[in-house]
Amino acid sequence: MTTMPGTLVAIDGVNGAAVETTARTLAREHRKERAAVSAWDASGIFGELMVAEEDAGLPSARTLILLYAADLAFRLRWEVKPALGQGRLVVVAPYVNTAIAFGRAAGLDAKSLSEMFSFAPLPDQSRIVETAASRSLSDRTGFVEFASDQLLGAKSKAVRRELVIRAARTLKTISVLKKRG
Amino acid sequence: MIKSPVSIRTWTQKARARFNDPSRRRGLLVAFEGPDGSGKTTQRKLFKTWLKSEGYDVVTTKWNSSDLIKPIIRTRKAVRSLSPEEFSLLHAADFRHRVDHEVLPALWDGKLVIADRFLFTGLARDVARGLDLDWVLRLYQPLLWPDIVFYFSVSPGTSSKRVSAVRTPNYYEAGQDVTQVEDPTESYQRFITRVIREYESLALIFNFITVDAEQSIGEQHHAIRRMFRECEARPWSDWNADAFGEWLAGRNRER
Repeated sequence: MTTMPGTLVAIDGVNGAAVETTARTLAREHRKERAAVSAWDASGIFGELMVAEEDAGLPSARTLILLYAADLAFRLRWEVKPALGQGRLVVVAPYVNTAIAFGRAAGLDAKSLSEMFSFAPLPDQSRIVETAASRSLSDRTGFVEFASDQLLGAKSKAVRRELVIRAARTLKTISVLKKRG
Repeated sequence: MIKSPVSIRTWTQKARARFNDPSRRRGLLVAFEGPDGSGKTTQRKLFKTWLKSEGYDVVTTKWNSSDLIKPIIRTRKAVRSLSPEEFSLLHAADFRHRVDHEVLPALWDGKLVIADRFLFTGLARDVARGLDLDWVLRLYQPLLWPDIVFYFSVSPGTSSKRVSAVRTPNYYEAGQDVTQVEDPTESYQRFITRVIREYESLALIFNFITVDAEQSIGEQHHAIRRMFRECEARPWSDWNADAFGEWLAGRNRER
C-alpha cells in the first residue's frame, strides 16, 4: 500500500476503452475526494514510437514493457504521487498488472516482470476489467491492444488476437488469486 | 496460432545445441567499457581495423544509438525531464532493441560484435545516480554476457581533464540531475568519481580485463590484441542461452 495520505486505485484490463470508461466512472463517483485519473502514455513515449521510421525495427515484448515502465515512472512522478500527497483518490488505469499480463502472453517470465515494476507502489484497491479486447485500434486503444499490434513478429491478425486472449487469461488468473486473498 | 510461452524454453535448448555444434562458426562479443575520456573509442576503431585485416566479419554497436529509442531519449534529455528511473529504463529499452536487432542476429551468424559501451555503462551510471544495482541489473534480463570486456581505467582527474579539454559536458553526462551542482565541469568531476567507483566494483565482480588507459595508444592497442588472442578460443557462454532463446522465439513468431 502507498504510505501517502491519498488512495491509489489500480484498474487493469486488455480492452483500453473499457478500462478508460471504468476509470472515468469511478472518478466521477469520487468527485468529493477530487479523484484524478492517470492513463497510459502520459509521457508521450508510445506516441513517438508510432511515428518512428519503418526501418527502425519493431520492438520486442521486453522493449515494449521497458517503455511502459518508463511511462509509468513518469506518471507516478508527475500525476500519481503529487495527487496522493494531496490526499486525493487516484485511479491509475492501466497499472502494473496490464503490463505483466502482456509480458506473460508473450512468454516472458513473471518474476523478472514483477521485479521490473518494484518501483511502483502497491495499490490500495485493484480491479480487473474483464471486457474482451476491441477488434480495431482507436485513440482509446489499451496497452495490450497497442503492444500486440506493435510487437516484433506479430504480423498476422491471428497472432495479435492470440496475444490479447492470453493476456486476458493472465489478468483473469490474477483476479481470481486476489479474490482468494 | 502463436507459440506457447513454453516455446522460449524450446528455443533456449536450440541455442544450447547451436553453441555446442563444432561445425558452426561461433560469434564473439567484445565490449569496450570505461568512463568518458578513457580513449576507448580510439581503441575500438584500431581494434576493428586490425580484426578486419585478420579476416573477421565485424559489426559495431554503440551505446544509446537505436533508431527506435534514441530519438525518444534525445527529446527528453533536451528538456531535462528524465528522473533517474526513467533515464535507466529508457537506456535499457534502447539496449534491448539493439540486442534484438543488431547484436544477437550478428552473433548467431558467426560475426564478431564490438560494443562501444555495453550494459555495464547502464549499471555504473544508474547506480552512481542512486539506483539499486539489483533492480538495474534486472532491467537487462535476460542477460547477455560478452566474451571479453575491456575496461579502460583512468582516474577521475584524467577523465575530467580530457573531457573538459574538448567540450563542456552536457547536463546528464555531468550528472547535474543528481549532483545539483550548477557548473557542469565541477559536476562532471563529482559524478565521474562515483561512476568510476561503480565501474571498479563491476570490474571485480564481472572479471573485466583492465587496460591501463593512461598508457600510450600503441601500448594499449598491442595489449588488447594479445588479450583478445588469449580469450577468443573460449566456448560460448551457457549463460547466454536464455537471451538467445527469447530472441529466437520472437524471431520465430515473425516467420
